[in-house]
Amino acid sequence: MIFLSTLPGVRAVKNLRVLFMGEMQRLQRYHIIAASLVVAVIWIGVLHFTDVDDVTSIFPLLLFLDATSMSITLIGVSMFFEREEHTLKALFVSPITKGEYMISKIIGNIVSNLQTLVILYLYAWFFKEINLNIFLLVFYVIVISVFHSMIGFLLAYRSKSFTELLTGVLKYMFIFLIPVVLEQVGVITGDLLTNLMYALPTKAALLLLNSTTNGVETWEVLYGIAYLIGLSLLLSVVIRKGFEEFVAKESGI
Amino acid sequence: MFKVENLHFTYPKNKEETIKGIDFEIREGEVFGLLGPSGVGKSTTQKILIKILQDFEGSITYKGKNLKDYGRDFYEEIGVGFEIPVHFSKLTAMENLQFFMKLYKNHEEPDELLKKLGLYEDRNKKVGEFSKGMKVRMNFVKALLNKPKMLFLDEPTAGLDPKNARIIKNLIREYRDQGGTVILTTHLMNDVEELCDRVAFMADGKIVEINSPKNLKLQHGDRKVEVEYEMGEKLESQMFSLDDLKEDEEFFRVVKNHRIITMHSKETTLDDIFIDITGGESSEES
Repeated sequence: MIFLSTLPGVRAVKNLRVLFMGEMQRLQRYHIIAASLVVAVIWIGVLHFTDVDDVTSIFPLLLFLDATSMSITLIGVSMFFEREEHTLKALFVSPITKGEYMISKIIGNIVSNLQTLVILYLYAWFFKEINLNIFLLVFYVIVISVFHSMIGFLLAYRSKSFTELLTGVLKYMFIFLIPVVLEQVGVITGDLLTNLMYALPTKAALLLLNSTTNGVETWEVLYGIAYLIGLSLLLSVVIRKGFEEFVAKESGI
Repeated sequence: MFKVENLHFTYPKNKEETIKGIDFEIREGEVFGLLGPSGVGKSTTQKILIKILQDFEGSITYKGKNLKDYGRDFYEEIGVGFEIPVHFSKLTAMENLQFFMKLYKNHEEPDELLKKLGLYEDRNKKVGEFSKGMKVRMNFVKALLNKPKMLFLDEPTAGLDPKNARIIKNLIREYRDQGGTVILTTHLMNDVEELCDRVAFMADGKIVEINSPKNLKLQHGDRKVEVEYEMGEKLESQMFSLDDLKEDEEFFRVVKNHRIITMHSKETTLDDIFIDITGGESSEES
């Protein structure tokens, strides 16, 4: 058993478990989970006060808003607290890798997003009508969470203050989220604009979520998956380098 | 323990080197003080030694092995005590320790450490409710949590009352006596004098002096003794050279014939040596 614990893979899994459990404990204690639940309650309110009984068509849009903006915010806020309390310094002089630290945060984000998905789905299942592929939805929420967690890291370590972090989140929403939502609800039309939307990762995210309910083309689903996973991998390389510099600046005695 | 040879370091955005070729050795079982004014490279040197900064030139070996060849297990060997509190404020002291404890292969029992530092009664209190002194003591508990072979301490007694500062200093000595090695950064020269076996003074990215505090005081001080004595109703004082003291008839006349009030050798203080060697006031480094 002692020998097993010295193997790199086993060590990484053990560290990930400890970091993830710690992350969940802190998300709860710092009331970040509570804030996420409040947002879920707001989404339930939206579902409740919708005139239609069948909420299948608006369900992906609510999940889209949650999985994108909340993923960025959760990472940003939890890292902000760690910077503020200097616990990042303590973490990076303990036997963990930066990769383990980042993965534990991404898993925490996924759990939080899936929690919202389950709450909304249960509400829709019991009190409204809903007809979509829940397993695909879970998979797509994970893909979207991972990508937006990366954006969260990028904003968190580039922001010098909480205000700067929030400004970053708002900028992302204005540039990437709102245009896609406006197109979805029919405010933005025209071939040129709708074609340009495909450059936005948020468009890819919404396509994936929509594909669980209606006729999204197969190529659009494949594009969505490939685009988000590809961008996540690319961002992970960029973030890793920037993160090294961030740790050097934040750490030490 | 550590051997540093011809260490150079330049921050990526800087043109000028921050560390300009330093050599020193930290011996196993000693308390080694790294001193100097702000911005001379102490913090950078320590960041390099704890593997936070990697792109340095020169050679650093830890226990005879190149520092760059160590992986995460290096952090099993060292404990880092920060000057500023590094705790999750909304977790209790025990929850903080239990979280970090699980990241290490070996660890001390948190209860024992908390008892030693006088924090056991408050173990279930949120750290955010702790006083500054309690947070500083928690830093020390955290540094010792993984049974480290080497401790990096930054201002370990800053913000503590004399009683708690004494507890920390005694624990550092106890740790050293049990074979532990300490690298200490502080601007409290009293602590340096009490704790350090050797000190290195840094100035402008270089090490300008390494010696024991006692030798430094002997080198830089005057070998004189000042005697203050009663002369009728008045107080008089006289200075005598320590080198000729046993043959100094005037000294023996004063000692025999007057009531001595005070007698002090005139070695210089470490504060004076600090200013003299580094050319700066003793202060914290960013």
